[in-house]
Amino acid sequence: MKEGVTTVAYLVAGVLFIRSLGSLSKQDTARRGSAFGAVGMAVAVAITAAAWAARGVDNWVTPSVLVAALVVGGAFGASLARRVEMTSMPELVAILHSFVGLAAVLVGFASYLAPAVASAELVGAERTVHLVEVAVGIAVGALTFTGSIIAWGKLRGTISGKPLLLGTRHILNGTAASAVVLLCVPIAMAQGTAGMPYLVGIAILAGLLGIHLVMAIGGADMPVVVSLLNSYSGWAAAASGFVLANDLLIVTGALVGSSGAILSIIMCRAMNRSILSVVFGGFGTGDTKEAAAAPTGDVHEMKLDGVATLLCDAKKIIVVPGYGMAVARAQAAVFELTQALRKRGSEVHFAIHPVAGRLPGHMNVLLAEAGVPYNLVLEMDEINRDFAKTDAVLVIGANDIVNPGALEDPSSAIYGMPVLEVWKAKTVVVLKRGMAAGYAGVENPLFYLANTRMLFGDAKKSIDGLVAAVKGR
Amino acid sequence: MAATPDSVKKLVALGFSVTVERGAGVGSGIEDAAYEAAGATLGDAAAVWGGSDVVVKVRPPSHGEVATLRAGTLLVSLLQPERDEALPGLIAARRASAIALERIPRISRAQKMDVLSSMANLAGYRAVIEATQHFQRTFGAQVTAAGTIPPARVLVIGAGVAGLAAVAAARALGAEVRAFDTRPATKEQIESLGAAYLNVEVKEDADGGGGYAKEMSAAFLAAEVALFRAQAAEVDIIVTTALVPGKRAPILLPDEVVQALKPGSVIVDLAAEQGGNCSACVPGEVVVKGGVTIVGLTDLPSRMASSASRLFATNVVHLLQELGGGAAFRIDRESDVVRPALVVHDGEVLPRPPPPKAGAPAAPKPAAKVDVPPAPASKGSLRPPPAEHLKPAQQNIRSPTRLAWGTTVGGIVLILVLFVAGRFAPRDFLQHSTVFILACFVGWQVIWSVTPALHTPLMSVTNAISGIIIIGGMLEVGSRLDASSVLGASAALFAAINIAGGFLVTARMLRMFHRGRE
Repeated sequence: MKEGVTTVAYLVAGVLFIRSLGSLSKQDTARRGSAFGAVGMAVAVAITAAAWAARGVDNWVTPSVLVAALVVGGAFGASLARRVEMTSMPELVAILHSFVGLAAVLVGFASYLAPAVASAELVGAERTVHLVEVAVGIAVGALTFTGSIIAWGKLRGTISGKPLLLGTRHILNGTAASAVVLLCVPIAMAQGTAGMPYLVGIAILAGLLGIHLVMAIGGADMPVVVSLLNSYSGWAAAASGFVLANDLLIVTGALVGSSGAILSIIMCRAMNRSILSVVFGGFGTGDTKEAAAAPTGDVHEMKLDGVATLLCDAKKIIVVPGYGMAVARAQAAVFELTQALRKRGSEVHFAIHPVAGRLPGHMNVLLAEAGVPYNLVLEMDEINRDFAKTDAVLVIGANDIVNPGALEDPSSAIYGMPVLEVWKAKTVVVLKRGMAAGYAGVENPLFYLANTRMLFGDAKKSIDGLVAAVKGR
Repeated sequence: MAATPDSVKKLVALGFSVTVERGAGVGSGIEDAAYEAAGATLGDAAAVWGGSDVVVKVRPPSHGEVATLRAGTLLVSLLQPERDEALPGLIAARRASAIALERIPRISRAQKMDVLSSMANLAGYRAVIEATQHFQRTFGAQVTAAGTIPPARVLVIGAGVAGLAAVAAARALGAEVRAFDTRPATKEQIESLGAAYLNVEVKEDADGGGGYAKEMSAAFLAAEVALFRAQAAEVDIIVTTALVPGKRAPILLPDEVVQALKPGSVIVDLAAEQGGNCSACVPGEVVVKGGVTIVGLTDLPSRMASSASRLFATNVVHLLQELGGGAAFRIDRESDVVRPALVVHDGEVLPRPPPPKAGAPAAPKPAAKVDVPPAPASKGSLRPPPAEHLKPAQQNIRSPTRLAWGTTVGGIVLILVLFVAGRFAPRDFLQHSTVFILACFVGWQVIWSVTPALHTPLMSVTNAISGIIIIGGMLEVGSRLDASSVLGASAALFAAINIAGGFLVTARMLRMFHRGRE
């Protein structure tokens, strides 16, 4: 097969991928975007398969192994996609990142062991550059792989969400990173595949670095970490592209890498963190000032009946969902409640904080799953002005994202983070299991304000009760 | 009316069986049937007075009613024993107990039982409504083709519960409001309701403890009157709410102030029952003096019988809950809530305990703890909400200067590195680098336009397309089944999981997003 044909096919696939990401800018075009991506992928795989077949097949072993790999992988992926609960999307995304990382490591080793390198076909600078590319690909891939596995464990709850903060962590990270760089030297010097042990060393060191970096990050910062790993998985793919001198891999990797980087920046802004401190791990936790004096005062508890009355009387209502809603799987009940209230003539909207949930945009997906039309779901910047004109705000399983301390208390760990200014509404009802602090471990003065009412209990049960009470009136 | 169908339901839930006097709710617009539906039985007055363990009545009972009390019964009412000094003795003679609701202490825990706060809130609101009845102008500014009417100017004296409710009501009608209080602590609350705060420059803190202002010195009073005289020339409506517990209300608006008002102005004197803050006030009546209408009505809450009943009934429910509910009912003489209000206990007339020391300024705390939506006046608790204008103190992640420096320096370094690479690196590498850098820029431009609502689908799509690494795996599979081929095939396997999983889950998610009608 002519190389030109492959190049054009790769170009088509690359353009389709760009269109795919671009189409996600609006809900109306989003489905088309997903289709663009799938077509692009089909083109790329088909042309590669054709190129592979054109090389000539002299036995049936390797083709059948490859086909089996594709079929098994595809089937497994499809069943994952079908079975996953929308609440566990973050875990799925994290584990898929790890697969990209693992694939990059494997491609790196395969390329190193491939005849071209072994037979010293490449010489001089070309050989050095190629070997360094291999080393970088394996390092980034290994870091992504282990980091994502840890993130997956933290999201599932199998690994504690508490940040692991070793006193020497910056030294450890620095040592591991420079060791990875130094190990490139013997690899470049080694003849044939004699550099293999050093490559394995790089993979292990980078893997440990990935584990350590993510272990140092607390539960509340998971959205940033997941976005960051998304970015890393892109860079891993791009590095493989350099190894294989394949432009499509480079382009796609760069697209995914930028996408993850932008998401990380958005998340960082929403939490008032600097991106550098995220990359180097353990951010916002090392320099936590002594927690501000716990807010004192009375908490006004309200019973189900009172809340139902309040909601029935309210003309304009805003619902603020948080991760607690996902944990309690209350999204369908929440939608039912808003339907009942809308039927009574109230205006109901949803307000989404950028870092609500465990994944950028997680709350939007959960609400969409429950059937909430997306035009009722507004972003923080769109809705923050409206709270002053709102009669009742229902905060469901959210804490830090509605903490007024972020605006007024410089000693608060989340000071400076933009928050949903719910307290400007006439009444705020907070659904909560108990008085525990949020993920950031910060007390929330909102609970002690005069216009705040607390409805304690499991979010699902409370909302179900409210639905019954509102419908009964 | 001391109970509503809602409060009856709550009382039944607390374990009480409730009897309501026939026809008692008519004044508040509640039919007997509604009480029955809520779980109460109906009875005549004799059945209620003679057959209950707890009798709840709004107004003080008549001597005749007391005579029908059963031994051991608890009477809950706005008893006001200082008005009818024989009453405690009569109740004691029946070996009954009595709680005077107006003596529930003004401490945080008891706010939900504080009838006076509830009624003061309504009175403050109604004071403004009464003023509108007698005021011949609009409250809010009106812009019409025939010209503009300026807003009415309202002065509220005393920013307690009633005063704050009056401020909020007047503001809601569009009036320009100023409020005076001797306690500097009220400034914030007044301003939070959108009114201007007035005070006089005499050093003297007026917090008398127990939620009331104390009586002020003569010099202070003179300074106040001077202020009001100056204000009278400007304002159209004055609402006065100044009370000193157990004493005649202070005269804050002597005749000279009333004369300084423009004809057509209105004074609503909420202190009328205690003699009035205005010298021209006639308690219980509306009088006109020199063109100024002075409203001295003393039954303002009763003019909103339905709301008053609802608040009163809720306060009573909370009190009976404090007493242990139906099952564990007990009058606890040691309780700091019950003891001050307990006038008679089991036939013994109790002396009034000394008022609590003026500790924490629980003073201006309005009745916010009642289990109803807070009235606009209930701003202010131990923690004030953040000020309106506060903006998040964002670290300047993208401050223009730092951004400019960052891109300039970063760009120069990158270009230098590329030049070095261009000098030494092979041509292929440079070509790939060009593609890589351009692709980064394309990605950067495209992704910023993605709506935040679709960030999760974005991540799953990027998950899927980063499965493009499958090409790498496929290319590494050679014709022989060596280590390289096996590694390549495994890479292809994992990448295939990503592709199938990523695209399918994205499609599944995007199917769920749908637009609804506004």
